[in-house]
Amino acid sequence: MLTSVLLSIPLLLLGAVLAVALPSNRAAATVAALTQAIASLLVLGAVTPLLRGSSPLELTWSWPLPLGQIAFRLDALGAFFLAWSLPMTLVGTVYAAGYLRPYFSKGRHGGPHFALLNVVSASFVLIYSTQNALVFLLGWEIAAVAAWLLVIWDYRNQKIRFAGFNYLVSTHVGLFVLVAAFTLLHSKTESRDFAAFGRYLSQPTPTRGTLFLLLGTAFALKSAFFPFHTWLPRAHSAAPAHVSALMSGVIHKAGLFAFLRFTLLMGRPDEWMGWSVLAFGALSAFFGVLYTSTQRDLKRLLGYSSTENVGIAAMGFGVGYLGWSWNSPVLAICGFAGGLLHILNHALFKCLLFYAAGAVYRAVHSVDLERLGGLAKRMPATTALFLIGGLAISGLPPLNGFFSEIIIYSGLLSGAAPSTSRNVALVASAAGLAFVGAVSALSITRAFGIAFLGSARDSSLPIGQEPPATMWLPMVLHAAGVITIGLWPGLGLSLLRSTLGLIPLHASVDDVMRPLLPMLDASRVLAVFLALAGVVCVLRGRASRRTATWGCGYSAVTPRMQYTGSSFSQQFARIFESFVPALRREQVPTEFFPQQPGHVHSHHPDPVEQRMFEVLGQGEDFVVQAATRIPEQPRFAFAAGLIALLLIGALLLGSGQRW
Amino acid sequence: MVILRALNVLALLVMPLVLTGLVNRVKSLWSGRKGPPLVQLAYDLLRLLRKVSVYSSTTTPVFRIAPWVFLVTAFGSAVVTPLLGAGSLVSFPFDFVWFAYVWALGRVATMLAALDTGSSFEGMGAAREALFSSLLEPVLFLAMGALSLSSGARTLSTLLVPHVSAGNGSGLVRLCSVIALFVVLQVESARMPVDDPATHLELTMVHEVMILDHSGPDLAAIQLGSAIKLYVGAAILATLLNPWAGAGTAVSASVNFGLCLLVAVAVGTCESLIARLKLRAVPVYIAIALASAAVALLATAWRAGGGP
Repeated sequence: MLTSVLLSIPLLLLGAVLAVALPSNRAAATVAALTQAIASLLVLGAVTPLLRGSSPLELTWSWPLPLGQIAFRLDALGAFFLAWSLPMTLVGTVYAAGYLRPYFSKGRHGGPHFALLNVVSASFVLIYSTQNALVFLLGWEIAAVAAWLLVIWDYRNQKIRFAGFNYLVSTHVGLFVLVAAFTLLHSKTESRDFAAFGRYLSQPTPTRGTLFLLLGTAFALKSAFFPFHTWLPRAHSAAPAHVSALMSGVIHKAGLFAFLRFTLLMGRPDEWMGWSVLAFGALSAFFGVLYTSTQRDLKRLLGYSSTENVGIAAMGFGVGYLGWSWNSPVLAICGFAGGLLHILNHALFKCLLFYAAGAVYRAVHSVDLERLGGLAKRMPATTALFLIGGLAISGLPPLNGFFSEIIIYSGLLSGAAPSTSRNVALVASAAGLAFVGAVSALSITRAFGIAFLGSARDSSLPIGQEPPATMWLPMVLHAAGVITIGLWPGLGLSLLRSTLGLIPLHASVDDVMRPLLPMLDASRVLAVFLALAGVVCVLRGRASRRTATWGCGYSAVTPRMQYTGSSFSQQFARIFESFVPALRREQVPTEFFPQQPGHVHSHHPDPVEQRMFEVLGQGEDFVVQAATRIPEQPRFAFAAGLIALLLIGALLLGSGQRW
Repeated sequence: MVILRALNVLALLVMPLVLTGLVNRVKSLWSGRKGPPLVQLAYDLLRLLRKVSVYSSTTTPVFRIAPWVFLVTAFGSAVVTPLLGAGSLVSFPFDFVWFAYVWALGRVATMLAALDTGSSFEGMGAAREALFSSLLEPVLFLAMGALSLSSGARTLSTLLVPHVSAGNGSGLVRLCSVIALFVVLQVESARMPVDDPATHLELTMVHEVMILDHSGPDLAAIQLGSAIKLYVGAAILATLLNPWAGAGTAVSASVNFGLCLLVAVAVGTCESLIARLKLRAVPVYIAIALASAAVALLATAWRAGGGP
């Protein structure tokens, strides 16, 4: 019943209030986790029949002032997103209880933080089930502000405050664009209900394209597509690990959900819409992965990797829209299935990776790749879990990332487009996706290899130890999900069956899976052989000798001589220098017997963000100069004020007309 | 069909050794020496299997399992390849995507093992390998995608064989694919002008330096895996060049066998006559292959009437 789903909102808010009110941190965490658990159960109870194919749940409230009728409608699309958003937030709350313990032991009150996690969960229920534009905006704004407050947990650090503020401004720019789109729709339909929007959008009007672009921009800003991703790296680097995980894995998927919701309302898309989504996704994936390969901060690296993965999901959606516009049912279902499954897979492995990065930070107080190394010796379980997440994010068989990418490939390489030149464009996109996958493998090899393997590059870091149970249990859960969906992707696709049924085409998930079943068997056989290889290694390990690494005759090898993160990606970054510029500060000794040590510092800032700040700075300079040139005489000011007043009056009078 | 499958298995077991030996023999003949026996790799493998592995104390279990993962993935890619021109051991839709990703898994395993040793040499090899292979993936996909579009096939066995119904551009598609896939073979099996498998100077190594620390059976697994990759690449090229590919007859199988040997001779000749490219020039070399594969893809749009 939809009422039980909506009841979870006051339950979560009650949990939030209690978490703030209770004095002990442990009690606050327990209350928050408990209320989230009950809310998850309520939601899952309502959502499971929806995912099995029953009809959507509907509810209408009458609230004459100020909102009129508020309609709620939970269909299979919202059900799919709700099914994993709430449980993953619960898992994140459990992780937070362990991760924030050092802060709690120093006397910090964590109640508000847990309350905000509850509030974020409540906002999901609102966003995914509402049919009213104002309630949607309310849920959107709650999620954004709650996420901001979660990010600035360490608010005493000015950089973290700035990162949070940057995120807040960017998410509100997205809100403005969304409000613009909703206002346009309201002016055309005189209603705030999504059903009315849908009736308007499904007709071929001239504003349909404009609305598509406006909504696309708003949701691209939320989900961190390129070039709207500039807030992402700072926010992820500043936030605590579980907040980064939840933002990246769960909160920002709301943008993709909303995009799908509105385009489903739109009905059959035009072909240019499909191509634009495909191209935009490919651009995001390309730039996201280029930035991922050069970062030295592990959490920034994982943040850019989110941009890459939503790009891949968008490429799947682009294939879906194209298939829909060409009336090719299997291609359409293929694209949407691949995109949606990739969203679920991404939530699973990205959260796992961020949790592991948080464990690293907790252990050695640094996530700078240039200083890490050799963590596998002290933290073997974290290493193994990060490796599973890393292999999954590179899309390698037999884990889950491989299968969602295969579904997208099967759409791109199917040759089902109506003309050869379109097929050529799809194959070129497939080659682009292959490049993105290969560079993602490069990035993850670099991140995992430099941080966990080898020896410690900075011996001043504390010797790490494994995280407590509240931190590795969430990781194990996510890793189990990664492996399960990798070997039995049918489980993930069964969640999607009814969601894909919302697309009015006569094809189902089985049509997508049928040609891929032999590959699934091949993946399973590969997994068996890999497990056998592992067993062979364990058995052979008894008979071996230990020595030092071969140093090519050099006897005084130190850990500082190992390859670093920047050296690993240096030649790659140089080839793509115009896309990923490097910032290098150096002071090189010039004399034969230098008196002072030299130093070199290099990092790769975000070029889009740099350019944006440059432009904003130039704009500010321009405004300041123009303002200084206005003469300081009262008559001019009076005249300018009068003209402005007349203009505003004319606009207000004119807006009363019906165009 | 059963005979073909059995011959496939036999080829998979024997031909990697023979081809590697043939490449080395061609190189020796070009430098005026007699060269090692053709099945020298078999003697090397047997010798290595008898030894005890020596592991560095810096390494973790990743280092121990990586060579076997590499070997498993090499076999995994070989079972979907039509080694004798027709009828691979296993064939399923989009197995060429599987092929590329399984090679990627093997590569990631080797790179992680290289980084595990904590040695700057091996890290260098891993960095170079990562760069070259990431630039190479789109080449492979463009060539395979072009062949798939022009022949309408979705499995590796069927898209490599010539189709009567393929349009006008199919000859150009195959030629450009052969050029692109030859470069892929050179890069993936670490041959000149991309990499020198015979040297151990840090300036010139890519693959050799990644496996410096492996010893005993682990090294045998890696060498066998590399030989299998060389054979698989040569078999793909041979199937592309074979006019009777897909027939499944003894003639087509023996022509494929001969073409494999010819490809090995070509690889050895290239290796003897062309010096190693400067590392900065290798991406340019791969870009040439990318351009060739792109031409192959565009040629699929060229039909008798022209236009899309």
